[in-house]
Amino acid sequence: MEKKNNLRAWIYLAPLLILMTVFTFYPIVNAFIISIYKDYQPLANNGAGIITGYTFQNFLFIFKNQLFWISIKNTFVIAFISVPISIFLSLFISVALKNIPKLKGFFQTIYFLPYVTNAIAVGMAFAFMFHQNYGLFNAILGWFGIDAINWVGGTASWTAQMGALLIYTIWSGLAFKILVFTSGMQNIDKQYYDAAKIDSASKWTVFKRITVPLLSPLILYISITSMIGALKAYNSVVGLFGIQMGAQPYSMMTIVAFVYRYVSGYTDVGYISYASAAAIILFIITVIFSLIQGVVSRKRVHY
Amino acid sequence: MSDIFVQNELAYKRKRIIGNVVIYVFLAAVAIAILIPFYWMILTSFKNETQITQIPPILALSPSDWKLSNYTDLFLTVPSGPRVGQPLFPFFRYMANTVLISLLTTIGTTITTILSAFAFSRLHFKGRDTLFAILLGTMMVPGEIFILTNFLTINKFGWYNIFTQTYGQAILAMTIPFMVSVFYIFYLRQTFKQIPNELYFAAKVDGTSDFKYLIKIMVPIAMPTIVTIIILNSMGAWSAYIWPALVTANDKYRLVSNGLRGAFTDTSTGRTDYGQQMAASVLVTLPLLIVFFTFRKQIMRGVSRSGIKG
Amino acid sequence: MEIKLQGLTKIFTSKNKKEVRAVDNVDLVIPTGKLIGLLGPSGCGKSTTLYLIAGLLRQNEGTIFFGEDEVTETPPEKRGIGLVFQNYALYPHMTVRENILFPLQNLKVEKQEAIQRTVEIAELVGLQEMLDRKPKELSGGQQQRVAIARALVKKPRVLLLDEPLSNLDARLRLQTREEIKRIQRETKITTVFVTHDQEEAMSISDEIVVMKDGVIQQMGEPQQVYDAPVNLFVARFLGNPQINVFDGEIKNKEVMIGGMKIGTTKLPDQKVTIGIRPEGFAVDTEKKSPFKFEIDMVETIGRDTTLIIEVESGEGGILDKKTFKAIVDVEHRISAGDVVHFKVKPGKLHLFDLSGSIL
Repeated sequence: MEKKNNLRAWIYLAPLLILMTVFTFYPIVNAFIISIYKDYQPLANNGAGIITGYTFQNFLFIFKNQLFWISIKNTFVIAFISVPISIFLSLFISVALKNIPKLKGFFQTIYFLPYVTNAIAVGMAFAFMFHQNYGLFNAILGWFGIDAINWVGGTASWTAQMGALLIYTIWSGLAFKILVFTSGMQNIDKQYYDAAKIDSASKWTVFKRITVPLLSPLILYISITSMIGALKAYNSVVGLFGIQMGAQPYSMMTIVAFVYRYVSGYTDVGYISYASAAAIILFIITVIFSLIQGVVSRKRVHY
Repeated sequence: MSDIFVQNELAYKRKRIIGNVVIYVFLAAVAIAILIPFYWMILTSFKNETQITQIPPILALSPSDWKLSNYTDLFLTVPSGPRVGQPLFPFFRYMANTVLISLLTTIGTTITTILSAFAFSRLHFKGRDTLFAILLGTMMVPGEIFILTNFLTINKFGWYNIFTQTYGQAILAMTIPFMVSVFYIFYLRQTFKQIPNELYFAAKVDGTSDFKYLIKIMVPIAMPTIVTIIILNSMGAWSAYIWPALVTANDKYRLVSNGLRGAFTDTSTGRTDYGQQMAASVLVTLPLLIVFFTFRKQIMRGVSRSGIKG
Repeated sequence: MEIKLQGLTKIFTSKNKKEVRAVDNVDLVIPTGKLIGLLGPSGCGKSTTLYLIAGLLRQNEGTIFFGEDEVTETPPEKRGIGLVFQNYALYPHMTVRENILFPLQNLKVEKQEAIQRTVEIAELVGLQEMLDRKPKELSGGQQQRVAIARALVKKPRVLLLDEPLSNLDARLRLQTREEIKRIQRETKITTVFVTHDQEEAMSISDEIVVMKDGVIQQMGEPQQVYDAPVNLFVARFLGNPQINVFDGEIKNKEVMIGGMKIGTTKLPDQKVTIGIRPEGFAVDTEKKSPFKFEIDMVETIGRDTTLIIEVESGEGGILDKKTFKAIVDVEHRISAGDVVHFKVKPGKLHLFDLSGSIL
């Protein structure tokens, strides 16, 4: 009986395993291998590829590459600023949603819209809204007597560009978080809130000492997945700034964009190795930050 | 004496109402902030050149002033440049490509997901938990790592050759690597696990084979989840950008996101036609929104549940 | 702190627009410092009443007073009550100590005093050892004591308990209900608890309030209500084993069941419903009483003998049951098959009109 089950299981899993071996497991291993190839020409020799040896130079090349450090800076700023802000905002919005008697579904639907849209299409809309002369943002600033800012134009400052990018990133990041937090809050037993009322807790105290702790596993999950997503920022930058990745070429480059730059240049010798090395560095960064979050949260997350 | 108490009553009632009003105002403000980009996108697509470049910007247009020229322009053929002879924004072609890719990957993913979720939830086999843990681990790996090698693999299969790529090969390149989703397998497995064991045993006693049980019993019961997976997966193809850009040699094979950027900037003058750009954005965004509003409940329920269980 | 409810009404509307008056025009005065049991079958409105007093539910009509203060529109956080939930509702992520401190912190009690009071209350309920544990590490009985401590620590004007004993096992129930009585005696807080177990209510309450369908049936000291029920429902609800209910009639100042006389009365002739508790019967040793039966089953426990008499339908007209029970002194040495003549002890014959009210 045992044996029969084993065989049957593997048959059901066959499509999965075949596809994943080719497109998931092999690539992971291969990425590490490629990153230490020297002078790799992947398609030469009738597709078998040519290398001249093994080396760690690829990593050195990356670390010495100024564009790489620009990418790191941009990606980190995106991740470390947009993620906390959007988590806090979405928690706040979810709590507000919980406390209204009617129209909850209406608001939830509206808030979810950014999730179902094409990042590039909407990014372009944002780019236009950020236009120095014809844009909506500057028009609104003008109502408050603030001078127009050059957000995404050719001479826009790094701060302005990043500001625009952060606004867009936070905007599109709210949808998923609000949905998840709202669902999570629904799963909290109403009794705790009744007890808190009897215990004379203020609305803020209820939020801080009951809702947030009881949601903490969910908050951690969102925190980690959002961080991972933010570290992979790419589509949003293309949407807002176009293929050139910034008001000035590459000024808003991200790590993923950096990887792609070298992937698309695969015909050049060794380029794909650079891409691989950069991707692995990104992977390591992702793992490190996920672990840090896991450890730091140990004291604050209640199961 | 009673006057004082009546006052207290009103005070508390008033406080409650004010509290509610404040919250509603806040939520409305957020809603406006969410909707503005959409509104602006649609509004701009109906403006002509002069209206777009007006400072301060026009905030609303009455329907009689709406110009459809931006939309019709998209379908006009381009007189010069790299895309000579084709429409400015080959919306329908991109749409057709995207729908095809979406269809194929969804069918493929649904099949592998159902089979795999079945194996992980119902069958006991050696290495089950280890394999599952490994699969979960792969979710942590950034997509770029896969893209690298997969790109090379596609090349090796001969599906990507700058000069000779056929439509069929492009389709293969864009679909085959995406027939699997660990995320959906995890999600469906949860649902399958909630189907009581007794049903399985009863079916076994009736002489039903595993496969029949899967198809005739488990799938119908788990249909809401499967529908959610189908919907979410189809929507995914709409946002695909990097991979299609990478593996298509010919603009004709590309998907809806690819054609958007840069198509509306006149390379000689560097000026962008925002009206057309917004019109194209609206066209691209619209189908997805229609799908969303039709399946709203499914989508939101599915996303939230998969988010939580994860 | 006296609790006064006037004309209190709560209406629930179900999905198909049906209205249910869970609490129907209730007038109730709960005297200061007493332990009151709110008693009734499920769905009678007792929990609803409790939650209305707490402010967690909003009444449709009526007023609520705590002493001189009207609290009808006051939100629960400002009413100054302590509530022990049926499922305790302890904050799972906080320790026992933090759970108890929580209300004090919200009331802005000064830190030193708050810590002091927490320790005192923990001692009062016997939890000093558990202060740093989390709720899930405690047994049901211990969790409940934490809930009580949390409710009491803020020195509320009113203490409310929702079915405090129903989640405990039988052994613990007896122990805990004595605890509740003891704590109430020591703190002298006006306390109202809700239960469906009449034995529970009767054993510890200073007064009980019996409810049915949102309406108060009777209020009074337990023994009083037991001995003098105002209607059939109350008579049936209290007492274990349940009161025997017979169809009977009054004819010529005599009370008859199935043609057999069991007592006299000054009331006019009419058909009546007669309630006699098992212990209300006495054996007529002179064998003169016409109310006689052959005994079907005898159960003797200690000094009481329970006699079970089967009655065939039509004979004697027993209401709603096929048997009735009598509890008599074991010294009569009665066995199954004996014919026993019964008398009813004075004051133990309850006569109700056909609508169920006491005559």
